[in-house]
Amino acid sequence: MSKDRLSSFSHYAAQQELLRERLHLILATLHPLLRSDVQQALEEKGKLLYQPDKSISLALPTGNWALLPLLIAQYVNPFIDDAVVSSVGVAIECFVCALDLLDDVEDEDQTPVVQKLGVARTLNVSTTLLMLAQQALLSLAQQNIPSDRVLFLLDTLQTSTLHATAGQHRDLLAEQRPAEDMTDEECIEIAAGKAGAIMRLACLMGALVADADKILCVQFSEMGELLGIAHQLDNDSHDLYYLLQGQTSTEDAVHPGTVTESVKSDLARGKKTLPVVLAAHSERILQENAAGADEDSEEHKAALQEGIITTWGICLLYRDRAHDCFQKIEAQKPVASPLRILLGFE
Amino acid sequence: MEEQQIKDFVHRVSSDETLRQELAQDPDSVIMREGFSPRVAQIVARLVPHLAFGDSSSTAPTNPWWQR
Repeated sequence: MSKDRLSSFSHYAAQQELLRERLHLILATLHPLLRSDVQQALEEKGKLLYQPDKSISLALPTGNWALLPLLIAQYVNPFIDDAVVSSVGVAIECFVCALDLLDDVEDEDQTPVVQKLGVARTLNVSTTLLMLAQQALLSLAQQNIPSDRVLFLLDTLQTSTLHATAGQHRDLLAEQRPAEDMTDEECIEIAAGKAGAIMRLACLMGALVADADKILCVQFSEMGELLGIAHQLDNDSHDLYYLLQGQTSTEDAVHPGTVTESVKSDLARGKKTLPVVLAAHSERILQENAAGADEDSEEHKAALQEGIITTWGICLLYRDRAHDCFQKIEAQKPVASPLRILLGFE
Repeated sequence: MEEQQIKDFVHRVSSDETLRQELAQDPDSVIMREGFSPRVAQIVARLVPHLAFGDSSSTAPTNPWWQR
């Protein structure tokens, strides 16, 4: 590990501690029984309260949804108050965790937290997290943030939520449509509405709370959306790749079955990810036939392989466009390693 | 449109054995001949091992933190 990377990980650890303290303060307001369930959701892999097995990897820091707006705010204003940036970070962490839980339930994914809590409690935890996200933002009014800026941050969160739910709804409705009726553009729009909207929000909130000018806010927003789309396409192509190869991912190695089962569930539900839609176009294979007799045919596998490679290429395209935005941001002021590494640009 | 250029090229290579062999032997010439923008050319170059040789190492897992 390079010196820059090592020093960035020390920086992450300090900021994560700050974020956890703020999160515990907010969680302390909950009834103990509810708090216990909410904590379980926030202790899932990658979440802020996750306790990683140190022997597994140093390359997978936790709570990065909270770190992203925090580091962006510190980039815009290095003197910004810790309590302010950690409140915004915690708001994003709670918001993303809430949407993840809803996504699990809507997709009928049997994730560890859904298995532990059951559907009803999972939904209630999600509602709680959405309210906690708003509460974390409202708390800024007590930290000398002007009330009009607090209101604007809340409005931004609401707008992004509506954008993300619209994307999710289109994704759910697409399950009922034949893959060959879907266009590539629709798949990208859905990715933009889901992952793109969430990453856009995380970046924009960091810039907004630090009172960045309009141009910088737009640049961070655009970079976030492009990165979100790229990440979604990366995930879709790799998930399908593993399934096609009959392999398990590194995630499966840590939590056996997690990714593979989730991808199988996506296919069974008829999720129209870009590689699946491209494969249907390429070989006129309908998604509903994926589980039929042809699924083992060489033609079907070749079409899926083509869809995977094309999706990966388009993912690289979006990543490159995001990098263009990043360079415009950096032209104004150098970006320190912790943020650069978190965004994947180092 | 850059997306369409990538899509069309991958489809052509996937369905044309001659082009696939040519790409394996001399990727730079093939990419130059296609007249891609610098960005698309750079991306296609990264896809070459997978397109021409079926090399899976280029799609190694990235373990993105934004996906659980």
